[in-house]
Amino acid sequence: MMRAPTRKAAARGLAFSASPVLAVKLPAWRSRLTLFLLFGAFVAVAVRAFWLQAMSTDFLQRQGAYRYARTLELPAVRGKITDRYGEVMASSLPVKAIWAIPEDVETDKDKLRQLAQLLDTTVPELNKKLGSDRSFVYLKRQVEEKTVEQILALDIKGIHTRNEYRRYYPSGLVAAHVLGFTNVEDIGQEGIERAQQKLLGGVTGSRRVIKDNIGRVIEDIGYIREPQDGTDLTLSIDGKIQYIAFTELQKAVEQHHAKAGAIVVLDVKTGEVLAMANLPTYNPNTRQGLTGAQLRNRVMTDTYEPGSTLKPFTVALALERGLVTPATVLDTPAKLSIGPASIGDSHAHASTMSVAQIIQQSSNVGTVRMAMKCEPREMWDMFTSVGFGQVPRTGFPGEVAGRLRPYKTWRPIEQATMSYGHGISVSLIQVARAYMIFARNGEMIPLSFMKLAQPPVAQRVVSERTAQQMRSMMEKVVGPGGTAPLAQVRGYRVAGKTGTAHKLEGGRYVNKYVASFVGFAPISDPRIIIAVMVDEPTAGGHFGGQVAAPVFSNVAASALRAMNVPPDASVENVIMPTQMITESM
Amino acid sequence: MSNRSLITVVALLMLCSLLLVNSQYQARRLFIELERAQLRQRNLETEWDQLQYEQSALAKHSRIDAIARASLGMSVPGSARTQYLSVGAR
Repeated sequence: MMRAPTRKAAARGLAFSASPVLAVKLPAWRSRLTLFLLFGAFVAVAVRAFWLQAMSTDFLQRQGAYRYARTLELPAVRGKITDRYGEVMASSLPVKAIWAIPEDVETDKDKLRQLAQLLDTTVPELNKKLGSDRSFVYLKRQVEEKTVEQILALDIKGIHTRNEYRRYYPSGLVAAHVLGFTNVEDIGQEGIERAQQKLLGGVTGSRRVIKDNIGRVIEDIGYIREPQDGTDLTLSIDGKIQYIAFTELQKAVEQHHAKAGAIVVLDVKTGEVLAMANLPTYNPNTRQGLTGAQLRNRVMTDTYEPGSTLKPFTVALALERGLVTPATVLDTPAKLSIGPASIGDSHAHASTMSVAQIIQQSSNVGTVRMAMKCEPREMWDMFTSVGFGQVPRTGFPGEVAGRLRPYKTWRPIEQATMSYGHGISVSLIQVARAYMIFARNGEMIPLSFMKLAQPPVAQRVVSERTAQQMRSMMEKVVGPGGTAPLAQVRGYRVAGKTGTAHKLEGGRYVNKYVASFVGFAPISDPRIIIAVMVDEPTAGGHFGGQVAAPVFSNVAASALRAMNVPPDASVENVIMPTQMITESM
Repeated sequence: MSNRSLITVVALLMLCSLLLVNSQYQARRLFIELERAQLRQRNLETEWDQLQYEQSALAKHSRIDAIARASLGMSVPGSARTQYLSVGAR
């Protein structure tokens, strides 16, 4: 029984106070050292805390924000372009850009082939892109939603999409030269798209947000800059007339195997451009392999020698100055010598003609007779005041002034040729606009490609009397004794003037022609001016009266009906001559 | 400070913090709703543009012309077949 308590004590161990360890005497420096180390550690923590809190807060907060805050880009939509009735002519629709991080792309041959097919490219081409050492490559831009879905369905790692916009032009090639197009960055390159880039282009906005772990936006922080969508534009173009003008021009260019053609239709009352078309043209939706010829805007940016379409201005000047009246009879010999040069007509005519007949039969000799009675300065003033040699200022990109040399440098022969439209170069829109003085009773108004709320202020150039006399003389041009009976329109009285000019090549006139016709209708109260120009017609005649006048007639008939203009003549007003009169060049 | 007022203050503090949590939650919820509505608005705008474009594409004059002539057998009425009526005239 003695053992038991001993065993008990052993189980409990020694009493703490009796522990021999306590009896060991340690050197005093050890505890001090520990205390010092602990203190030192606390100081370090405090210093670190101070450093983080006070010294590098900005950096840390920035880093923090960098991890939860995102700046979202808010894309702005480019403005729509509509015609005068609100029909959409150009609109931006969302599409996607397909891009890749080449390093991340993991795929097999089969998927790659499918991808290449969806992207309209070849496997080697695609491999080249994916093999590049850049960290970001566009595989294809402006891909339509349907294709994008198919591409995403392939589920290839490393292929991503980005939202962007693509411009669509529902009217296609019909209005290509009016609208122009934008590049892949949505910046206007041609036409109205370029002219009105500032208005059409929107301003991209941005906002700072906090996103949660699954990418939802939770909160706005900081600033928001609202995106500003581009302004929608309403053009002066009438979609229906544009289509009519384009198709009629196309028919003529094909029928006469011409190199090119251009047409412009103006509203006489407001100066608005109702239609403008050029051939050859292009489809602004798919612009692959565009050539310079297709892009050329022959109405606005090309100049040509107008030929006889300029004669009415010389005659109007002579009338205005009181030098002649429509009934004045002038000597018109077959050849007229001015210095060493001589001027003739391409068709035989009587040796005396009235002013009205000179216009009707487009006689060079007769016109020169009248021009010789005028001072060069007067002619220059006349041409300048109707806009020749002046930039039309419609705001259209690339519009040209043409060439009208200062009158002081004119030699007599030059003054003579200029009176019938040679030695002067103009654009088609200038000629069309100049005819305002006949259609608007002697007034000129500025042109516009935008729909106007109010007609602009007009400026008088010639008297009402002169304009009316000119009108009735020009009506005879489309009559049976004139150069353009094919320009007649059933139900409407029309007037106009043909032009057929030899082309200048390398400083010499060659046997290539520009056939044109400028006219307006209806005579009783003109509403539209139409100018047609066909470049190098090679089949079925080359005279303005044969090539361009029928285009005028067809477009005028359809356009007047489309505009609900009541007819001012009986429907049996069209009289065809038995023999055509050819025009002088 | 007496024990009772201390308890009252703590209770108020608790209440306030709970309300804060609640309002924060409400704010987020409403914000997400707003986001959704704005997204919907954008999508509808896009759809409107799309539909307008489609309307223009379907109503383009060349298409109408072709259908009218080819499948409907229509033609432009000559002026001989046109009667013009003016308002007020008999």
